[in-house]
Amino acid sequence: MAACYQYDGTLDGLLTLYARLLPDRIAPEQISTNLPDQHPLFSSEIIITTDHVVAEAFWQGLTRRLSPHSLKLVRRCLLADYPQQELLLYRYLLLEAEQGRRIDQMLAHPHVAPVWKLSQQVGREAHRYLGFVRFQQVQGELYYAAIRPEHRILLLIGAHFAERFSDQQWLIHDKRHNEGILYNAETKEWLLLPMELHQQPEAAPQEEQFQLLWQHYFSTLAIPERMNLKLQQGKVPLKCRDVLTEFCVLPPADSR
Amino acid sequence: MTLDLMDRLKILADGAKYDVSCSSSGSSRSNSNGVGSAASSGICHTWTSDGRCVSLLKILMTNACVYDCAYCVNRRSNDIPRVALTPDEIAELTIGFYRRNYIEGLFLSTGVVRSADYTMELLIQAARTLRQQCRFNGYIHLKLVPGADPLLVQQAGLWADRVSINLELPTRESLALLAPDKTRDAVVKPMRQVSGLITVNRAERKASRKVPRFAPAGQSTQLIVGATGESDRQIVTLSEQLYQRLDLKRVYYSAFIPIVTDSRLPARPVAPLKREHRLYQADWLLRYYGFAAHELLDEVHPNLDQDLDPKTGWALRHLELFPVEINRAGYEELLRIPGVGVRSAQRIIQARRQGHLGIDDLKTLGVVMKRARYFVTARGRYAGEGPFESNMLRRKLMDAPQRPVQLSLTLEQPAGLITGEL
Ligand code: SF4
Repeated sequence: MAACYQYDGTLDGLLTLYARLLPDRIAPEQISTNLPDQHPLFSSEIIITTDHVVAEAFWQGLTRRLSPHSLKLVRRCLLADYPQQELLLYRYLLLEAEQGRRIDQMLAHPHVAPVWKLSQQVGREAHRYLGFVRFQQVQGELYYAAIRPEHRILLLIGAHFAERFSDQQWLIHDKRHNEGILYNAETKEWLLLPMELHQQPEAAPQEEQFQLLWQHYFSTLAIPERMNLKLQQGKVPLKCRDVLTEFCVLPPADSR
Repeated sequence: MTLDLMDRLKILADGAKYDVSCSSSGSSRSNSNGVGSAASSGICHTWTSDGRCVSLLKILMTNACVYDCAYCVNRRSNDIPRVALTPDEIAELTIGFYRRNYIEGLFLSTGVVRSADYTMELLIQAARTLRQQCRFNGYIHLKLVPGADPLLVQQAGLWADRVSINLELPTRESLALLAPDKTRDAVVKPMRQVSGLITVNRAERKASRKVPRFAPAGQSTQLIVGATGESDRQIVTLSEQLYQRLDLKRVYYSAFIPIVTDSRLPARPVAPLKREHRLYQADWLLRYYGFAAHELLDEVHPNLDQDLDPKTGWALRHLELFPVEINRAGYEELLRIPGVGVRSAQRIIQARRQGHLGIDDLKTLGVVMKRARYFVTARGRYAGEGPFESNMLRRKLMDAPQRPVQLSLTLEQPAGLITGEL
C-alpha cells in the first residue's frame, strides 16, 4: 500500500529514509518533512527517524555503486530546494536499483528526465554564484559575502572559493537557508555551518572606496545604443540583485 | 586612493568598452600560494544593461594615442581629455576587485604613447607587478601593440594568459583607408609570431612541465564589421583562415557604431547588431559544428540571411540531405540538423542505445523542435506537417515565433553549455 513518509528535513534523515525504503521497493505516495508545526493529517503517515550510521552507510554504498555522472546527479538533487524533490529522487534511485548503470543512458525515461532537469538547475545556479558572490572586507580581516540562492549550493561552490582565495579569511552566508561556509586561511580548511546573522558586519576602512569604484566602473560599461534590459534581467534575475554591489543604489554624485 | 582615480577609471573603462572580447575562459591556472585561479570554463560576474557579460576589469592603460584611426574615439585628432593609470595603480585596482570576487582578472588595452615599444613595456610592467608582487594567479589578457618588438611580444605572452592584437578591418585596403598609421604587417607579424611561440611552447611543455607557459589561453583578435564594405563571405572566410592557419582561439566581431564622425565612415550602417549576431552564429558553426566557410557562403550568397540562422539557411539549400532519421544518423549528421546542438546531439546518441527514440523524446533531450521538426524523422515518422519544399519551409521557419535574438555576443559559452541554439 502506498503511504506517506516523513523525515526531519536533514540530509541524513532523507538518506535514512531511502535506506529503509529502497530494499523493499516500497513506492511512497509522498515524502515530506515533519516540521515541528506540521501534524500528520492522516494516520497512514510513517515517520522515519534519522539514523546517522544508516545514512552514512547508505551514502557510501551509493558512491561505490553509481557512475560518476549519476552520483553528480544525485548529489545535486540532494542539495536542491524544490517541491517533491525527495520523491523525484526516490523514483530515480528505485529505477537505478533495477537497472544499474544502464540508467545513465535512459535520458528520456520519465523517472530520469526530471531528476536530470533538477540537477541541471542546481548546477546552473551553483555556477552562476561563482560569479555572484560579492565579498566585503569587514572588521577583523574577514571578507564577508551574503547570498540568497534558490538551492543549497554552498557545498558545490566551497572548493572553488577555497582555491581561489586561499590566502584570505572569508565567509559566504546563505541567508535563505541559514547556513554558511567559513574558510580558515591558516589551516586552509572550510566548514559548512548553520548560521544566522542579526546585524550587518561593519565594513573595513577601504571597503567603501572599492565598492564605489566598482559601481562606477560597472555603470560606465553599458553601451547606450545597445540597451537591452530584458536580456540583462534574464542573466541577472531581480531576486539576485540585492546582494550584488553593482546593483545597489549609487550614492549621489556630489558625495563622490 | 585619490578621488581622481575614480574619474580616470571611468574614462579608461569607457575607452575600452567597445573592445568586445570579455572571455576569460580557456586557461586554467591553479593557485599556489597567492591569490587567484583561472577557471577553464569562464565565469561571468555580472551583466551590463546592454546584456553583456562582465568577467574582467577591462580598461585602457591610457587613452592618449599617437595614431589617428578613423573609427576610434582615442584617435590623436579627437579633442578629449587624456588620462592614464600607472602600472601600480592598475595592479592595485585589479587585486582589490579580484579579492571581492567582482572579476576574473584583467583585460588591459591601451592607446599608443611615445612608441609601440614604450607602450608595450608599460603593459608588461603592469602584468609583471600583478604576477610577481601581488602573487596574482587570476586571468590576464594583454593587448599587443602593433609594431612592438618581437622580444616584448614574447615577454607579454609569458605574463599573460591570453594576448591579442586586433586586425580591426578585414582587408589590407580598408586598413590603409581607415587606419593609415597601422600597416597590415605590423598587425599580422606579431600574430604569426605568437602563433608560432604557442606551438613551440606546447611541444616544450610536453617534454618538461618546468618550461613556463606562454599565453596558455591562446590568442584572439577582433574585426570591426560594417565600417567598410566587405561581405560576410570575406569576413567568415578570413575567420576560417585565422582559426586554421594561425590557430586563433576566438575571432570577435564588433558591429561598427559611429562614435566619431569621419567622412570615410558610413553614417549609420543597417541593422549592424543583427549582422554581428549572424556572424557569431556562423563562427560558432565553423568552430563547433564542422562547417566550412564555403558551405555557408558563396558567390551566389555572399551575405548571411538576416531572417534565418545560418544553419537553417544551409539546410534549406540542401533539402536533399533531409529529413534525417534520428535513430540512425551519425554524430556529424545530427549536428547539422537545425535545432540540434552539440549537447543534444550527444544526448541523442546516448539515449538511443536504450531503444528507438520517438519525436516526443527529442524535446526531453534538449532539441529545439520549433526548427528541428521540419528536418527529422523518428522511427520513420515526419513531424513537420505540410509539403517538404524549400519556400514553404522557409516561410514556416520564419513565422515560427523566434526567441528574442540573444545579443550576448561576447559571452564565451563553455562548450558544455551549448544547447540547441543553432
Ligand atoms: S592605435 Fe588604437 S587607440 Fe590609437 S587611434 Fe588607433 S585604434 Fe585608437
